[in-house]
Amino acid sequence: MSKITFGRFSPYNTIVHRLDARNKILMTILLLVSIFLKVNSWSSTLIMSAFMLLFLILFMLISKVSFIDLFKSLKTMWLLVIFLLIIYIFIPNPNYNPEHIAFYIGRLAINYDAFYQSGYIILRIVMMLMVTMILTSTTSPMDLTYGLEWYMTPLKLIRVPTHIIAMTLSIALRFIPTLLDETERIMKAQSSRGVDFVHGGIGKKFTAIISLIIPLFVSAIGRSEELSNAMEARGYDPYAKRSKYRKLTFSWADLFGLLLILCIFGAVLTLRTYDSNVMPVDFIYWIFKAKPLF
Amino acid sequence: MSIKIENVSYTYLKKTPNEVEALHNVSFEIKEKKITAIIGHTGSGKSTLIQMLNALSTPTSGRIIVDRFEIGPNPKKNKNIKELRRHIASIFQFPEYQLFEETVEKDVAFGLKNYGVKQEEAIKRGHEALKQVGLDESFFSRSPFELSGGEKRRVAIAGILVLDPDILVLDEPTAGLDPEGTRIILDLIKELNNQGKTIILVTHDMNIVLNYADEVVVLKEGNLVYQGVPSELFSLSSDDLSLEIPPLYQFSKALIDKGLNININSIKNIDDLIKEINRK
Ligand SMILES: Nc1ncnc2c1ncn2[C@@H]1O[C@H](COP(=O)(O)OP(=O)(O)OP(=O)(O)O)[C@@H](O)[C@H]1O
Ligand SMILES: [Mg+2]
Repeated sequence: MSKITFGRFSPYNTIVHRLDARNKILMTILLLVSIFLKVNSWSSTLIMSAFMLLFLILFMLISKVSFIDLFKSLKTMWLLVIFLLIIYIFIPNPNYNPEHIAFYIGRLAINYDAFYQSGYIILRIVMMLMVTMILTSTTSPMDLTYGLEWYMTPLKLIRVPTHIIAMTLSIALRFIPTLLDETERIMKAQSSRGVDFVHGGIGKKFTAIISLIIPLFVSAIGRSEELSNAMEARGYDPYAKRSKYRKLTFSWADLFGLLLILCIFGAVLTLRTYDSNVMPVDFIYWIFKAKPLF
Repeated sequence: MSIKIENVSYTYLKKTPNEVEALHNVSFEIKEKKITAIIGHTGSGKSTLIQMLNALSTPTSGRIIVDRFEIGPNPKKNKNIKELRRHIASIFQFPEYQLFEETVEKDVAFGLKNYGVKQEEAIKRGHEALKQVGLDESFFSRSPFELSGGEKRRVAIAGILVLDPDILVLDEPTAGLDPEGTRIILDLIKELNNQGKTIILVTHDMNIVLNYADEVVVLKEGNLVYQGVPSELFSLSSDDLSLEIPPLYQFSKALIDKGLNININSIKNIDDLIKEINRK
């Protein structure tokens, strides 16, 4: 069985790892928004996407995020690609233009738009994966929850128990790898009882999954009970005032990184307001047919 | 069915900063129809090794040959795995986590059903397996989740025994059992061995090694450091293996040092010792 490694924290000590978790969360959000904001003109979209992609690849290199993990998760995306293509082929095209037809399948006209739209969505999903991967594999789950807790501080004013939420989150995050290990262990145990998790029909698969899920739940519930007992035995009181073991610090590198991301964000916003009537499809059409664009 | 382990290495989390080489170039042979004990300190790679014996994980390099089956680094090239697992079955550390059916008898029968045995037949053979591990009729229709830790352990062991494998691999089957439960399991192991089954047993208890094992393999930090017979192992006064010598062996040795002429290699338990002393 291959381990699920996507987005698992990998404890290197790169400059990205050393950045403040709060800052990294903010930068991630800004980047995600920039990726998903639609820039109106096609040419600027193309330039912007290419630039972002390069930037993200560079960031992945700096922070030693595994490209193999990324490709592994992309391998499972081909289904999505086909699905999107089919959807874009069949939904009515608002700016239908007979000149944009790429080819016919029987009487069905396939537009360049379908390829463009689905390709663009895939590209954005890939970039989103890259961004979240950089965040989760360079920030330990603990720092991540501390960061989130910090953002929730204003909620304290309206009496939201933020540190309880943070504690719940950090325990949940902490137990993901444990549960994965547990899953692997139970799968091995059931495999030696003749369960085949790979082959077999629906009925067989169903029994296989049941034989995995039930022990997993039983052990997870058992664990949570033990954990809560252990916490209580050590005098954990969710409403007590608490001090921090690890302090998050905002450094010069953080400032620099944030400024860089803000520049990108600003560029996307500017491009978005700069309106052009050229449709993306015109651009593709222009590439293929080499006709004047405007 | 003999088992050959050839230059096997295993690395966890390969190509990550947490990489651990749990086994390093281990080669040895496990003899047919014998009880082989695998011992070594915590983290020495025992569990890692035995998980590869029935292809639950594949070696990073090297290969394992079980009869006509070969287990190499590439999972896709390992053929007939399900067939292999019928011949060689493993019971892991804390097997109680694998229980899931509503009743004990159903859970024990589950393995057989996976190999296409009919429900009734499977349940019947399940009952026999349960009796072998010392659980009587009153347990058959109880929920496995209501049992005590030791009872769960025995149900889990019955769940493997029911498959009637030729080779039985047990990872610390007696850890956490009471003396009575331990004795039942060990006597059962001995009995199965007498019926011609090959047994591979991971244990931390040197008394078990002396009393039950025909062969012993010592792992240390992922390396094979000793293979031979138990009494010979204990006679090596080797500090680098840092083994705990069983009291019975120490006592016999003390008797010899004091001038009693007994054959230490034939002493496996207290009865043997008494016999030896009476022989003189
Ligand atoms: N899933 C895993 N991921 C990473 N490292 C592991 C994993 N399982 C085991 N290891 C490491 O591999 C080494 C060997 O572990 P293994 O479980 O084989 O030891 P063991 O001899 O069975 O010990 P014990 O007597 O405690 O059961 C240890 O250093 C352990 O930390
Ligand atoms: Mg172990």
